[in-house]
Amino acid sequence: MNMNTTPPVTAGKVKPSGGVRIWAKPGRGLFWVLLTVYGVVTLYPFFWLVISAFKTNADFYARPFGLPQVWHGDNFTRAWESSRLGTAFGNSLIVALGSLVLTLFIAALTSFILARFQFRWKGGVLTFFVIGMLIPIHSTLVPLFILMKQMSLLNTYWALILPYTAFALPTAVFVLTAYLTSVPRELEEAAFIDGTGLWGLFFRIMLPMSVPALATVTILSFLHSWNDFSFALVFINKTALKTLPLAIANFADGYQTDYGLSLAGMTLSVIPTVILYLLFQEQMMKGMTAGAVKG
Amino acid sequence: MNALRSKRFIITGLLPALVIYSLFVFVPVIWSAYYGFFNWSGIGEAKYTGLSNYAEILRDPVFWRALKNNVVFVLASVFGQIPLALALAVLLHKSNLLQRFLRSAIFLPMVLSTVVIGMIWQYIYHPQIGILNFLLDALGLSSWKLQWLSDGKIAIYSLIPPLIWSYVGLYLIIFMSALQNIPGEIHDAAKIDGVSGVRKLLSISLPMIKNTVQVAVVLCISGSLKSFDLVYIMTKGGPAHATELLATYMYNSTFSTYRYGFGSAISTSIMIISLLLIGTSQWLTNRKKDAA
Repeated sequence: MNMNTTPPVTAGKVKPSGGVRIWAKPGRGLFWVLLTVYGVVTLYPFFWLVISAFKTNADFYARPFGLPQVWHGDNFTRAWESSRLGTAFGNSLIVALGSLVLTLFIAALTSFILARFQFRWKGGVLTFFVIGMLIPIHSTLVPLFILMKQMSLLNTYWALILPYTAFALPTAVFVLTAYLTSVPRELEEAAFIDGTGLWGLFFRIMLPMSVPALATVTILSFLHSWNDFSFALVFINKTALKTLPLAIANFADGYQTDYGLSLAGMTLSVIPTVILYLLFQEQMMKGMTAGAVKG
Repeated sequence: MNALRSKRFIITGLLPALVIYSLFVFVPVIWSAYYGFFNWSGIGEAKYTGLSNYAEILRDPVFWRALKNNVVFVLASVFGQIPLALALAVLLHKSNLLQRFLRSAIFLPMVLSTVVIGMIWQYIYHPQIGILNFLLDALGLSSWKLQWLSDGKIAIYSLIPPLIWSYVGLYLIIFMSALQNIPGEIHDAAKIDGVSGVRKLLSISLPMIKNTVQVAVVLCISGSLKSFDLVYIMTKGGPAHATELLATYMYNSTFSTYRYGFGSAISTSIMIISLLLIGTSQWLTNRKKDAA
């Protein structure tokens, strides 16, 4: 199995001549119709979520497919106020950014060492990190819960920040080490001659140079911790500390019949990631693919 | 010059990552293997009971149901998701506006939280307000209406469309970049030899990306063992354990009854099953390669 650390030809830029051409002209029309139908079906659940968030319950029953008769923005204000979405937003931001900063720093440091130094246990350390990618994350829920309980970490931000970081490390180290290994050595040799210390080398040369790989790691880490449900479900039960997915899942529970309210809450919760997606689409696709094809 | 200094730097530099990673990824695995031999409620003394937790798991029909459902998910991903993604990757390889738009649309669910995905589909399947049943009514197919999530016989299959919907974009992009990495000379050679269309696809493009397809199969297997969130949100493993997966089985039997020893034994079993599945799939594909 191999992974592309140098960017593969990105999704957007293909030479048409190099592609696979399989349809003769007459079949084209039908084929485009089918593809478009597939696209509409794919996008429909998301579209439905957003338009339904503006509906009243009556509208919801009467015209399940239509646009709202009146666009009710107050579902959003009610969701934000009544169900503590604001607090949950803050909590999600704290744990996502906390584990992001921690992951970036320690993964970059580890990768710098693995990519640039020769020492006896190097191979062992790399293998150790790679093995972690095979561990199914949910199988650690019970033992992690016991561990957190004994460390008195349950119901703290650390109960999420630390495991998010730990599970982000294998991919982060893999991506960063591969990237740094490919960076030419002249720069650091010059810095060495100028008398820069090892930490100086790391902060002033290595970190700035690995920005493209750090961006990939940022995308993966942020999306994972922003969207995670299972760790938050098991390690957090204090309302004041609940993250966004937990707050949203509450709507699914309590025999909620105010549909507009739930859908508005769900819509609010996806805004940050959807905006990021619209802005950094190519990088996200590339990053998540690199994160997945890591073996 | 400064062998000692670099040695100190290496150790300090590796330490934070190694400590956090060992403590939160590896220690839990070892502990669950250990606690699996105990009867323990989380407080008080743990009582050593040997293999009795594992014996109980093997006798529990819910475990076998969960294992079967996990296999259904794996099969649905391997034989539903991968062919669909491959077909889409071949069709969407160019970059006109419509194709770019379709790629973005198909990948979009990858950035949504599984909680949101699960809840959207819960609404789609809802018996009173679900748009699927409305749609069937509108098409005059009212007799096809079903209790999608509350009928134990079909509930597990109702979970497959959301599963595929949320991950097909990932495989699409993986296959697309693999297809694009096929060197241009090969396309040129094919052109000279007059090979094109479906024949080129089957005898040149697909064999060239075989390794990527293998990686995708492993991803499907480990991914399907990760589908805890979707099932927890949509059915909680019900009705009557009909949609239980190994992960929800573990969650439900640990945290509703405080049986941490038993839960640890399930957790260890999941680990073993997942390694066995991945090992077998690797072995199968490698054996095929040797035979060919």
